[in-house]
Amino acid sequence: MSTITGTLEAYQKQWRINRLGLWLFFISETFLFGGLFVARLYLWGDTRPPLDQKLGITITLILLISSYFMYRADTAIAYGDQKGLMNNLLVTFVLGLIFLIGVVGFEWRGEVRPSDGAFGAVLYGMTGMHAFHVFTGLIFIAIVWLNARKGLYTKERHWGVEACAIYWHFVDMVWAFYYPALYLLGTVPHG
Amino acid sequence: MRHILTAAVLVVIVTVIVAFILINANLLPTVASQEGMIIDNLLTLHLLVIAFLFALIVVFMTYSIVVFRRKPGEEGDGKYIHGNTKLEIVWTLLPLATVLYFASLGASSLYEITKPLDNELKIGVVGFQWAWRFDYYGPDGKVAFSSNELYLPKDRPVRLDITSTDVIHSFWVPEFRVKQDAVPGQRHPLRITPTQLGEFKVRCAEICGRGHAVMYATARVLEPSEFQSWYEQQLASSQEEGGDIVAMGAKVAQKYGCIGCHSTDGSPMAGPTWKGLFGKEETLADGRTITVDEEYIRRSILDPGADIVKGFANIMPNTYKDQISDEELEALIAYIKSLK
Amino acid sequence: MQTFFSLGLVRGLIGQIVGTALGIALVTLLRAVMGKEPVWSPEPAVSFGALVGVAGFMIGVGAVTDWVKWMKGEETPFHHGPPEGKPAWTRYFGTDYSHKVIGIQYGVTSIVVIIIAGILALIFRTELAQPGIQFLDPHGFNTVMSTHGIAMIAGILLGVAAMMNYLVPLMIGASDMAFPRLNAFAFWINVPGLLLVIASLFTGGWDTGWTAYPPLSTRAPLGMLLVLLGVYVIGLSSILGALNILVTVFTMRAPGMTLFRMPIFVWASVATSIIALTATQLIGLSFIMVVAERVFKMYFFTPILSEGAKELGSPPGNAILFQHLFWFYSHPAVYVFVLPGLGIISELLPVFARKPLFGYKWVAMSSLGIALVGFLVWGHHMFTAGMEEHLRVPMMYSTLLVAVPTGVKFFSWVATLWEGKLTFPTPMLFILGAISVFLIGGLSGPPNGTVSTDLFLHDTYWIVGHFHATMFGGFVFPFFAAIYYWFPKVTGRMYNEKLGKLHFWLMTPGFWLQSLAQMQVGLKGMRRRIADYDPGLGITTGQILITIAGFIIAFSILIMVYNLIVSLRRGEVAAPNPWNSLSPEWQIPSPVPEVSYAQPFVVVDEPYAYGRPGATYIRFAPAGASDHKPTKSPSQEV
Ligand code: HEA
Ligand code: HEA
Ligand code: HEC
Ligand code: CUA
Ligand SMILES: [Cu+2]
Repeated sequence: MSTITGTLEAYQKQWRINRLGLWLFFISETFLFGGLFVARLYLWGDTRPPLDQKLGITITLILLISSYFMYRADTAIAYGDQKGLMNNLLVTFVLGLIFLIGVVGFEWRGEVRPSDGAFGAVLYGMTGMHAFHVFTGLIFIAIVWLNARKGLYTKERHWGVEACAIYWHFVDMVWAFYYPALYLLGTVPHG
Repeated sequence: MRHILTAAVLVVIVTVIVAFILINANLLPTVASQEGMIIDNLLTLHLLVIAFLFALIVVFMTYSIVVFRRKPGEEGDGKYIHGNTKLEIVWTLLPLATVLYFASLGASSLYEITKPLDNELKIGVVGFQWAWRFDYYGPDGKVAFSSNELYLPKDRPVRLDITSTDVIHSFWVPEFRVKQDAVPGQRHPLRITPTQLGEFKVRCAEICGRGHAVMYATARVLEPSEFQSWYEQQLASSQEEGGDIVAMGAKVAQKYGCIGCHSTDGSPMAGPTWKGLFGKEETLADGRTITVDEEYIRRSILDPGADIVKGFANIMPNTYKDQISDEELEALIAYIKSLK
Repeated sequence: MQTFFSLGLVRGLIGQIVGTALGIALVTLLRAVMGKEPVWSPEPAVSFGALVGVAGFMIGVGAVTDWVKWMKGEETPFHHGPPEGKPAWTRYFGTDYSHKVIGIQYGVTSIVVIIIAGILALIFRTELAQPGIQFLDPHGFNTVMSTHGIAMIAGILLGVAAMMNYLVPLMIGASDMAFPRLNAFAFWINVPGLLLVIASLFTGGWDTGWTAYPPLSTRAPLGMLLVLLGVYVIGLSSILGALNILVTVFTMRAPGMTLFRMPIFVWASVATSIIALTATQLIGLSFIMVVAERVFKMYFFTPILSEGAKELGSPPGNAILFQHLFWFYSHPAVYVFVLPGLGIISELLPVFARKPLFGYKWVAMSSLGIALVGFLVWGHHMFTAGMEEHLRVPMMYSTLLVAVPTGVKFFSWVATLWEGKLTFPTPMLFILGAISVFLIGGLSGPPNGTVSTDLFLHDTYWIVGHFHATMFGGFVFPFFAAIYYWFPKVTGRMYNEKLGKLHFWLMTPGFWLQSLAQMQVGLKGMRRRIADYDPGLGITTGQILITIAGFIIAFSILIMVYNLIVSLRRGEVAAPNPWNSLSPEWQIPSPVPEVSYAQPFVVVDEPYAYGRPGATYIRFAPAGASDHKPTKSPSQEV
């Protein structure tokens, strides 16, 4: 895919093909995340477990902000700005990592355990599946950063960066649906 | 045109033949409930349409095969026909109308067989691996007694509230036609109005593990007066307190569904009969022989997989050790001992 | 010996064994370090081991080598042809990027899997030939029956992928698939997945039927876990394969090939791929949720409330949710099974009737129609399940609607035959067999679709008869037709016509017998998935007939396998275009050369202009013209 040699025309043709492939992949993934979302609606109805609201909004904001830096990284390389690409990727990576620590380190240490009925199952199912995608996104960013350091991306040839960026935005979008589903929808029962 | 006419005539003939065969082949078991009759009517209608559509396609196809085959020595291709929009619309709309009609029949018949009726007799049905328990309610609306056989009065609408304690099962009596899954943690209703006296078999229709094939129970449809006297007798005996340990054992055996697989009168069922079990020489599947004593019976209940009786499959549930209390276990053993 | 160990397959297997062992050891070690009791806990260890094993296989077989290089920023030049310095056959046993090789790999794997699954069927059919328990205890029966079901379904998915992989790029004039490496990956990941499924037979078995309903599947032995993970992995392959097909069709068509000038099989592939791309995620999800319930005690489906859950006021898990998720895939999946098969029927009928496909656009649109309506009908598997009552009637309407586009196909086929000039070599026989068999399967669908009759029919052998007829008619018969039809294209040699006809004349009556007998015993009250039945139902004759029919079918398939193997080496050399087809793949030499179209082609006409003198579908472009994007306005020259 990322042929560095070869004509520019061929590279850009392949780029278009790759882009279509990636978007189809997102459509497919939407069904996966949608399935879990439906499971949440089905099992929890209008209830939800008690969660740390401050933590929730904080990590959500962090993830959203990370998308902004990812966007800057993508734009930077579109203008051929190697340095900007690397710096912004780094910021994105750190923010993503903080998000992951927030979910795995704090949210998962809260009151709810995985074996606690539908609350536990769905909470860990949704955040776990999403965290797994964030984790793969981080690996993706790391690889792109390393390759950027080798100077493999140019203004005309940076499909790798674009793929990484839209993947990251996609994972971010998923959280934009998951956060309200987990933290805002429904009421906490007084058990 | 001549071709089409010939084929059309053939379609009619074949439809009649196929329909005749389907209707007269005695395809279904006897029907013994009101709901069953409604379903059979709709099914018959379905079979008629199937007969027609089957004939339609097969006749035209066979006709083409016979008449439009390439004869020896013939050259060239078929007619250059692309299609015909009018025809396409016709054979889209006609089936559409047919299926909509059938769906509306389905909806109205579904309403017929599920609508609540006055004077319904409520019975709780509990499926578990691998037997059934039927809970009858007392005048106070609470479960008064349970039975491992389903007793039903003829011609009175019954509402079964079906649930399960472990995995999914499905309550089905083919003669009544309708079925309903038993889902753990949920209760779902099924309505039946029996129309024939006699004994039928309840068969579990959803795979539920090793014993699925033999998860049977007996359903008895009685005259309403007979049913009433059975009901009152059971109600009375359930209100007697205590009783001796053997009587208690009999109840425990009901409660856990042992009777679903073990007979007490020597008749063969999924498990060995309990009649004359105590003190008997039992041959095991691995060739050992064992004299049945209290210890053996206890082990058979708590760890059924340990000694498998020859000629039987290892299907007895191994979950009783978590359910049966010590007291109940003693009662069961006493009861089995008493069955000479 | 050295060649043997250099085979990708062998390395993959070694990788899987090593990976599994590593995974199991790692989890056990972790448990020991963290002080968890008991240290040896099979469920987490084996599930992690299985996943690492799959990864080990993929690394061993070399399907991820190029991607790792990309990650390191290295170049991966494309290599065409068999691996250097090794015999040509070895490329079929390792990672190869040619869609033609991958198509064959899929096809052969499919046949092998179908034969294994068929042998399992023969085993439990022999048990069922008589009432009583003969040689399979109930758990063994359940295991064998369930594995038969899931393996057959995997076999179908492989067969579908085989046809799409081999044919779609050839038919649209593409040099290969859009993502050749992904293609190889998608094929190879099936192998470790299938091995997991087969390993389940030896690790305690499983007893849920292919549908794996919890709570039973959360309690079944260890084998269940392997099946859940294996099917998940196979599903992944399906998704990636579908993605590849869609991108290929949308971006790599030959110039002049507008959507309505694509061969009809390509339409069917698109419709199939839309389903596989999206819905498959849900069977994966539902299976992973069961795994989570088993391994992490996350009670999605079992109404168990821990103390903590009660304190939180948590609602209980719900077994019905699984069925919704599962059938949201598994119903559309049945159209994944048949749409390519129906596409093959529509593709071959014009060739053997020497007439254009009747109502091409309607047939093309009906595939899409079936695929899309198919997303709205999943509830018809749950009419008795205790599903939300208000869903039953809408699901009934949508279910019956599917009959309409399917009917369009049937009527168009019949109209294609009408006034044709029919010839009947083996592929045509199988096509006609397919129509007749799929017809009884399809017609037995509406009674299941109307709720009230389904309350009677559900979980009986009537349903078993229904789906064997649909799957045989919609997949097995067309698949065999395709094998015979393209055998000369793939191998350059002709199969033995006499044996082909013998195969047909054994299999078709055999199949009719099997399926009709299944329906008959089902109506009498024979339940599904039972190891033993009540002779009192009056179904013993029917049972014997089903078993005999099963053996007849098996024997006929044995003939086909023999025929193909012998013809591969000693068959007559085939004429370049033995069927006189207009399709592009028949205008080039057989077997297809490494670079399929040395000269790209332009589509100049509709695909099935049989019956019009001098008709052509494509014209080879003068040398030098590279593969263009499809132009919107087709050239009008005839
Ligand atoms: C290849 C697969 C395939 C195909 C194509 C179909 C096609 C159809 N299926 Fe089938 N089905 C299965 C595979 C398939 N099925 C499987 C595997 C199961 C069991 C799963 C399990 O539990 O293990 C199943 C189960 C199943 C059920 C659940 C039964 C139950 O468990 O209770 C139902 C219920 O509605 C159903 C309905 C239909 C219908 C209405 C069609 C329709 O698409 C059929 C349409 C075709 C026609 C109707 C014939 C041609 C049409 C005409 C000639 C036009 C005129 C027609 C009319 C006016 C009626 N199927
Ligand atoms: C494509 C799909 C497919 C195919 C082809 C078949 C083929 C067969 N099926 Fe199967 N079947 C399913 C898919 C399929 N089945 C599914 C999905 C289920 C549901 C499972 C469940 O409920 O969970 C099922 C369930 C099922 C049942 C119900 C089980 C139950 O509910 O208890 C029965 C019973 O009769 C049955 C029988 C058969 C038979 C006799 C064949 C025969 O046609 C088999 C013929 C034999 C072969 C295809 C092998 C041939 C080859 C050889 C023997 C040659 C060997 C040698 C060498 C070359 C080395 N099948
Ligand atoms: C699903 C069917 C089933 C149920 C329910 C069942 N059993 Fe059994 N039982 C069997 C079978 C089959 C055997 C013979 C195989 C074996 O030994 O495990 C058996 C064997 C036994 C034996 C040994 C009999 C002998 O001949 O040696 C005893 C005692 C027994 N069961 C008691 C019970 C009791 C008490 C219960 C209820 C609490 C019960 N069973 C419930 C199927 C069942
Ligand atoms: Cu209970 Cu099957
Ligand atoms: Cu379906």
